[in-house]
Amino acid sequence: MNTVLSRANSLFAFSLSVMAALTFGCFITTAFKERTVPVHIHVSKVLLKNVDDFTGPRERSDLGIINFDISADLEPIFDWNVKELFLYLSAEYTTKSNALNQVVLWDKIIQRGEKTNIILKDVKSKYFFFDDGNGLRANKNVTLTLSWNVVPNAGILPLITGSGHMSLPFPETYETPRSY
Amino acid sequence: MLSIFKSIPTHMDYKGQKLAEQIFQGIILVSAVIGFIYGLIVEQFGWTVYIVLGGFAISCLLTLPPWPMYRRHPLTWQPAVPESQGDVRDKPQENVKKPRKHK
Repeated sequence: MNTVLSRANSLFAFSLSVMAALTFGCFITTAFKERTVPVHIHVSKVLLKNVDDFTGPRERSDLGIINFDISADLEPIFDWNVKELFLYLSAEYTTKSNALNQVVLWDKIIQRGEKTNIILKDVKSKYFFFDDGNGLRANKNVTLTLSWNVVPNAGILPLITGSGHMSLPFPETYETPRSY
Repeated sequence: MLSIFKSIPTHMDYKGQKLAEQIFQGIILVSAVIGFIYGLIVEQFGWTVYIVLGGFAISCLLTLPPWPMYRRHPLTWQPAVPESQGDVRDKPQENVKKPRKHK
């Protein structure tokens, strides 16, 4: 503390320790918060096709084509420890070969300050809904859920599934391919 | 040129150093509490960081330069002892050492 440099050093070190304590405080004030909100999912169109899957087994696989509506108010999730939300809509179903299949159909990033109330009407899925075989045809229970990753300033990275899901049966017949 | 720099006082006395440390710790802790509460209210952690940085800047200004308030208690040194008495001062120390005995 007797020279300018040693004072600067202890001042800087003390400030950093205080900042670390504040960051921990920011984490602890939001660590036990419930980050679930109700989500309404509605499927407006379901088609089933049997097409060549060039990325997978190189055989004809089931391709589901789904249009959906989502409405959710994500405002209660945001607080001072949330930088952004990564939302994704996933489909879960059971086939003969796999007890659990999960396919992500659509995703969206919502950053701080953006519109937090999402209302989607008749949206096409962003990614292909391919099964790795023929498990989608006449599948009685395909469940759509909206989940999200909360990206915080400090602390853990929670993965939360919204309350409210949509189960739909798939048609028994394939849509006949028109001209591509 | 060098003499101008050497004439700038840079030291603080002991009480001044203690005062400087108390001042910067106080300022940063107060700004941390204010920043935490304000950030919690407006739900922006960035404001907390800015307020602590502001406290850091203020305490840099207040405690880094050796202001006159940190030099109010200079050490009072003993008057210089003449050279010839140096030998006399050494003798009592030897006397102290001698009676030490190991059991």
